[in-house]
Amino acid sequence: MSRALGDDWTLPLLDDRNRAWFTSGRLRIQRCEACEAWQHPPEDVCGSCQGTRLRFDECGETGRVESFVVVHRAVHPKLEASVPYAVALVSLDGAQGVQVLGNVLNRAPDALAIGQPVRVVFETVPDPEGGHTLHIPQWEAIES
Amino acid sequence: MHGNSVVAGVGESTFYARGQSPDTEFQLGCTAIRKAVDDAGLALGEIDGIVSYMDSRNDPLRLAAALGLRELRWSATTWAGGGNNVAGAVQLADAAVVAGYANHVVVFRAIAQGQFGRFGQAAGLGSRAEGELAWRAPYGFLSPAHDCALHTKRFMHEYGISQEALCDVALACYANAQRNPRALRYGKPLTRERYHASPWIVEPFHLYDCCPENDGAAAIVVTRPERARDLRHRPVPILAAAQGLGPSSGLASFQGRWFPGMFYQHVGRTLWERAGVRAKDIDVLQLYENFTGPVLMTLCEMGFCAPEEVEAFVADGALEGPAARLPFNTSGGNIGEAYIHGFELVNEAIRQVRGDSTCQVPEVGLSLVVSGPGYAPGSAVLFGSN
Repeated sequence: MSRALGDDWTLPLLDDRNRAWFTSGRLRIQRCEACEAWQHPPEDVCGSCQGTRLRFDECGETGRVESFVVVHRAVHPKLEASVPYAVALVSLDGAQGVQVLGNVLNRAPDALAIGQPVRVVFETVPDPEGGHTLHIPQWEAIES
Repeated sequence: MHGNSVVAGVGESTFYARGQSPDTEFQLGCTAIRKAVDDAGLALGEIDGIVSYMDSRNDPLRLAAALGLRELRWSATTWAGGGNNVAGAVQLADAAVVAGYANHVVVFRAIAQGQFGRFGQAAGLGSRAEGELAWRAPYGFLSPAHDCALHTKRFMHEYGISQEALCDVALACYANAQRNPRALRYGKPLTRERYHASPWIVEPFHLYDCCPENDGAAAIVVTRPERARDLRHRPVPILAAAQGLGPSSGLASFQGRWFPGMFYQHVGRTLWERAGVRAKDIDVLQLYENFTGPVLMTLCEMGFCAPEEVEAFVADGALEGPAARLPFNTSGGNIGEAYIHGFELVNEAIRQVRGDSTCQVPEVGLSLVVSGPGYAPGSAVLFGSN
C-alpha cells in the first residue's frame, strides 16, 4: 500500500521502545506486568505502580478520533504535495487512557469529525536499510 | 508576598524580522544585557549572576568574558522546553538573590532564528526520524503549531468555542502593538475580516493565530531591595513566582491525564497561594501567545474564568487597550511586538509597574507574566508595587 504522505516521506528509526508499534503488524502498547496499566509513550518505569517489568501487549484494532488538526502549511518540502492533510489523535478501545497519532486514510480532511470510530490498517514498507519490514499503523473510518 | 528581590533594570536590543538582524544572537544578547544594566544605573562589573532558559547557546562563561564581569557567583538555567520557562528563569534569579548567592543577577533571552534553525520547521529532518520524532514524523505531525492545534481543537469541541474567540486574542495583540513604536506590527493594524481571510496554517489556526519568528534579545537585572534604593528607577518587587508539573513530552501531553491542557493548573494554584491574591486581583497580564488557542486554555487553567465563559471573557475588545476588562499583552506580545521567546513580556510587565508602558494601565499594583503554554513545566511570576 502506498503511504499516506508519499512513499519517500521519512520513516521511523527503530529502537527498543517503538519496534513493537512499527513492525508487529498489530496494535501493541507498553503494559506493566505487575499492575497491567497501559502506558504511552513507552517509559522505563510504570507511572502507575513504579514497576520496572514492562512488555508490549496487543490491544485490539479499533479506536475513536478524540481530536485532529488539518495541516495546510507544509513544514518540510517533501510534504508540499500532501497538504492539506489531517492528523488525528485516536484513543484505543483496548488500551485504557492511551491516545496515539495517525492519519485517517479513507476520509478527506473536511469530512473528519471528533468521535469518528476507526480501525487500524497498516502501511507495509520494506526497511530501506535491510532490517525489519515496517508495518506503520494508520486508520480507516468505520461505521459506529 | 515576599518582595525580597526586585527588578532594577530592563533592556532590549532592536527587534528584527526573522533573519534580518545584522548582529549575531550573541551580540544581540550582550546589547540587551548592557542596556538593562545601564537602565538600572549599575556597572557591568557589578553583575555577578546570569540566568537564561532553553539551553541558551549564549552560555554564562562566554557572556562573562565578553561583558567583562569580574566575578560570577550564580549561573543557572531551567529544565526542558522553551518559552514555558520565561518566568521560571526569573524565579531562579529571585531565589539566588533572596538566598544571598549573588547580588545582581541578569536574566535574559537572545534569539536569532536567522542565524540558527527555526522552531517550526522540520527542514533538518532526514530519511529516518529518531526518538520522540519517530512517533510523530511518519504521520506529518511535527511542529509546535501542530501540538497546540491538537489541544485547541479538542478544547473548542468540548466547550463549544468558536473561531471568533481565537480571533479576539490576535486582535488584542495587534491593537496594543499600534501604541508601541518598538513593535514589529506597529502601523500594521489587523481587522476581523483580514484575520478570517488569512490562510490556514494548521486548522484551527489561521496565519494570525501564530506568533511570528523574530531576532532580538531582552534582559532584566534582579537585585536586593536595599541595593536598589539608590539606583536610577523605582525598583519593581518580585512578589511571587511558581513553576509547575506537566507531561515530559508532546506525545505524553496527548494522553488521557493531560489532554487537552496547557499544564497551568498547578502553576496557578501555587502562585495564588504564595502571593495571597487571586486571578481577579490582577491589574495587567502578559500571557505568552505562541498561538491564540493556548491563551484561552491558560486563562481558564490560571483561574481567570471557566472554560464555558472564556469566549465571552475575551469578546468585544475585553483584552484591548489600557482600559480593558483585563489589560493583556499591552506591548503587543509575541504576536504584536516581537517574538523574543517571550522575554519581552517580562520587560513589559515591569514597565507597567514603573508606569512607562506605551499602553499604560492606571495604578498597576499587580502585574503578572504567564510563560509559554503547551509545554511543561509552566511558570509564572508576579511583579507589584510596594
